[in-house]
Order: sequence, then C-alpha cells, then structure tokens
Amino acid sequence: MPQLEATAAIDNEIDYQSETYKDAYSRINAIVIEGEEEAANNYVRLAELMPEQAQELTGLAKMEVRHKKGFTACGKNLNVTPDMDFAQKFFSDLHGNFQVAAAAGNIVTCLLIQSLIIEAFAISAYNVYIPHADDFARKITETVVKDEYMHLNFGEQWLKANFESAKDELERANRENLAIVWRMLDEVASDALVLGMEKEALMEDFTIAYQEALQNIGFSTRETLRMLTAGLAAAAA
Amino acid sequence: MFGLIGHSPSLERTHEIARELGLPECADRDLEFWCSAPPQAVDTVRVRSATGQEIEGQYIDSGFLPEMLVSNRGKTAVRKVLNAMAHAQKMGLSVTALGGFSSIVFENFNLSQTRLVRNVELDFARFTTGNTHTAYIICRQVEAMAKRLNLELSRSTVAVCGATGDIGSAVCQWLNERTDVQELLLVARQEDRLQALRADLGRGKILPMEEALPQADVIVWVASMPKGVEIDPSTLKQPCLIIDGGYPKNMGMKIQSPGIHVLSGGIVEHSLDIDSRIMRAIGMVNPARHVFACFAESMLLEFEKWYTNFSWNRNQITIAKMLQIGEASVKHGFKPLLLDPVG
Repeated sequence: MPQLEATAAIDNEIDYQSETYKDAYSRINAIVIEGEEEAANNYVRLAELMPEQAQELTGLAKMEVRHKKGFTACGKNLNVTPDMDFAQKFFSDLHGNFQVAAAAGNIVTCLLIQSLIIEAFAISAYNVYIPHADDFARKITETVVKDEYMHLNFGEQWLKANFESAKDELERANRENLAIVWRMLDEVASDALVLGMEKEALMEDFTIAYQEALQNIGFSTRETLRMLTAGLAAAAA
Repeated sequence: MFGLIGHSPSLERTHEIARELGLPECADRDLEFWCSAPPQAVDTVRVRSATGQEIEGQYIDSGFLPEMLVSNRGKTAVRKVLNAMAHAQKMGLSVTALGGFSSIVFENFNLSQTRLVRNVELDFARFTTGNTHTAYIICRQVEAMAKRLNLELSRSTVAVCGATGDIGSAVCQWLNERTDVQELLLVARQEDRLQALRADLGRGKILPMEEALPQADVIVWVASMPKGVEIDPSTLKQPCLIIDGGYPKNMGMKIQSPGIHVLSGGIVEHSLDIDSRIMRAIGMVNPARHVFACFAESMLLEFEKWYTNFSWNRNQITIAKMLQIGEASVKHGFKPLLLDPVG
C-alpha cells in the first residue's frame, strides 16, 4: 500500500563543483545569458517599432543587459565557460520568427514572442531554479525574476489596450511559437534536471505565467486552454 | 467569494470530467500531461441558503491525480496543491476548501513550511481543510443511520479506521463524549499516535484492522488512500453499518452483501439546488443537492462571513467547533446524507 511520506521536498545535495554539474551548467548558463541578450536586442527593436513607448522599452532593454551581466558572473563564479554556440542555436527559431515579424512591422507577434513567451519562459525557469541554485546565483536570480514580472506586465498592458485588434494575430502567433517553446524545453530537459529542475515543473510554471498573461490581456479561460493545447498539438506534429 | 480546490478521482475520470465541463482540450490526456498542467478555475458554483442568502464560488481543479501518489510523484502532488492555493489567492477568493487529497497532501508533506509560491505569499487564513464539518457530518451520519437500522449505540462496537487522523480523532472524541457507544476500536498505522489518542480519550481498544472489523457493528472509515482497500464482507458482522468517509469512495461498489449497509460518509445534502457543473462531473449521485462536507464548510464560512481557516493543522478539531459549524450547517439547509446512493 503506498503511503504518503514527507520526503518530497528533500533534494539530493547538489555538488556545484562536480564535472557533471558544470557541464550541464555550461549550456543552461549560456541559454540564460543568450536569452537576456536576445531580450535586450528585442526591446531595442521594439522601441524602434513603437516610438511612443521607446523610452520605457529602452529602459527594459537596459535591465536585460544588467541581467546578462549578472548571469555571466554566475558562470564565472563556478568557473564555467558558457557554450554560447549551443545557446544561439537554441534560440534560433524564436529569434528568426521575431526578426521576420519585426521586419513586417507585426508588433503584436513581436510582443507575444518577447514580452509573453520569452518572459514567461524566463520567469518559470528562474522560479524553478532558485531553490536549487548556489548561494551566489540564487541572490542574483531572485533580483532578476522580480524585474521579469515587470517586463511581462509591459506586454500585457499594451496587448490588453489593443486586445480586439490584436486577438487574431495573437492566436496565430501563439500557434506558431508555442510549439517552439515545448521543443526548447525538451532540448534542455536533461541538463536542467542535473541542476535540480524538472521538466514538468518548468512546463507547469511556464504555463501558469503564460496563461495568466493571456487572461490578463483579455482571453477567457477556455480560449487560453485552446491556445495552450494548440501549441502542444503543433509540437507533437 | 468562496473557493473549492478539487481534483479528478482518477486519470480515467478526467476524460468524462473534461467533457462534462466543456473542455475537450483536456480530455484523453495522459498522466504526463496532468503532471505539468496548471491549476484551472473551471466552474462557478452558486449556492442559496435556506435563509435566502445567495453566494458564489469558484471551483479550481488543481490537476492533481491520485495516480501521482501511487507512482511516487510526491513532488508533483505538492506542486499541484501549492499552485492551486496560489491560484485561489490570486483570484481573491475569501475562503477556499482543500478538497479530496489536497488537504492530505498539504498535511503529510508539511506544506505549512512553504509559504512562498513564486511571487505569491500564501495567506493560510484563506484556506480550510473542511475537516471540522466533515467530522461533524460523519458523526451525525453514524447516529442517524444507527437509529434507522435499529442499532443501539449503547450496545454497539464502533471501529474507527484512520482513528489518529484529523477527522478520525475528531470522530473518536465525539463518539466518546456525545454518544453512549459501548466500545471504541481504534485502528491506524502509527502506534505512538494510537497510544496518545487512547490516553486522550481515556478509553478505546487498539487493534489491527483485520481484528477490529469483524467485531464492529459500525465501521467508520476515514483513512484516505490512493488505492482502495479490499474488505472481505464475509468476515463482517451482520448487520453492519459502514460509513465510508475515506477518499476516494469505493467501498459501496466493492461490498455488496445483504445486512451490510455502506453509506458515503462526509457528504451533505442541501435543501435547495446548487448551481454547478462540477458536482455532476466529479460523479455525485445527486449533483444538484449533494456536496462534500469539506466543500460545504467553505460555503458555510462564506455564508457566515467567518473569514478564517476554521479547520487547520492536525488534530485541532474540538467538539465546540464541530457544534459551531454544525449549527451553521443546519441553519443554511445542509443535512447529512443518509440514504446510501451507492448500495
């Protein structure tokens, strides 16, 4: 008979200096650094597309640069060289989709990719990482995650104000880009696990943040469920 | 607005529930899907009191499934409960009942140590296990059904299985102090807790389940396990009254023998229709009227505006609190379920 025992919250001790940990960290750390770099560049590009919000967006971009510096220091602290080639490939699909949308002036798609998907992805990853992080990285990540909620909020506010005209494009952009996120999660699942982060926890946290953002913008629970599963179906196809 | 945190009784049932709620996207999914699914507010529940007062609540499906415990996914179970609580709090729900396994997971994994869920600091005053009302209703079910079956409690032996749990120990207290039950048999896994309970009660016989059940005229089953327990009806007394207050309820389906009366325990019948889809979806026999007593507790707290975690922490239930919630229960039109909808 299975019993409920209070063992769930107890983690195995993580050896931050082990070769296995540092090897996995070289890719995860690179993804985080690259993610912050992408975010900074995306906000700069959005500032060009949205002159009225340029000042705020430039401010967000500067914050992302600061985050990038923080995470670079986390890698150095563990004597890990981030595998930036891996990270650039990791982001290439989302990066490509953002560039295409920006070139076409599709602000809604750009905001969905950067302000909703990438921010929700970052928030979930940082939240799941914090309890397993080394002391140095934990402090930095805790500060960063607070900022990221603000960034998610920027996209939400703009899309909420323009919900009726943005709705169709949001649904389309969701279909095209959410599947990429599920694939990205698959790609890092084994490395993330070495750092104490379980894929299902990452997916759940991402979905909570992303769905909440979609609901804040104006979608109903049912619509967001349909959008989330559309992304899943596309990933499985 | 009150809240109810619940879950499907099994993976198999998620398919029907999803369809019943008009969420085909969530039907036909496997355990992996539910392990990474976020909590969802899937139904609005409207209740009218016998006094005429009307209230509204939200049902949140945590995405938890009992299969997660069977397959040793304790961490997943913990995440489900905490995320659903954070969701309820973010929705601004004034008082939310932790239904089904939610309160058991909360208690057994010591989740009161975890106050911070992402950017939400849980305010435990907004949550209740609903166990005080459940214990009260089970006691009333014992009393009323015994009478109906001509079982005199003063000449009856009552076995409480899961006696040291939150609900079990409250039921033992009530039977000890408010009835003239002849003999109390205490059944549970942990010997030290059993000894402490017997010392508190000043009576009671500690027995293993297989010895206790054949001696009992009344069995109060309040142990919750992810998988049901097989009981051989031929070893039981006839007549025998079984109040199945565990979760999930499956004894009635398994024990079908004349002279053995199985009643779903911890369920109340409301005197007015409850407007919801979820009660039908989770398989209530009379979904417009029947509701788990733990859920009803959050409704009662909302009716009475007792915005507090009325039932919280293990073994804090007192007879005074059972009487208090019992009085509110009667006032607002709830009564213990008596006719067994299964058998």
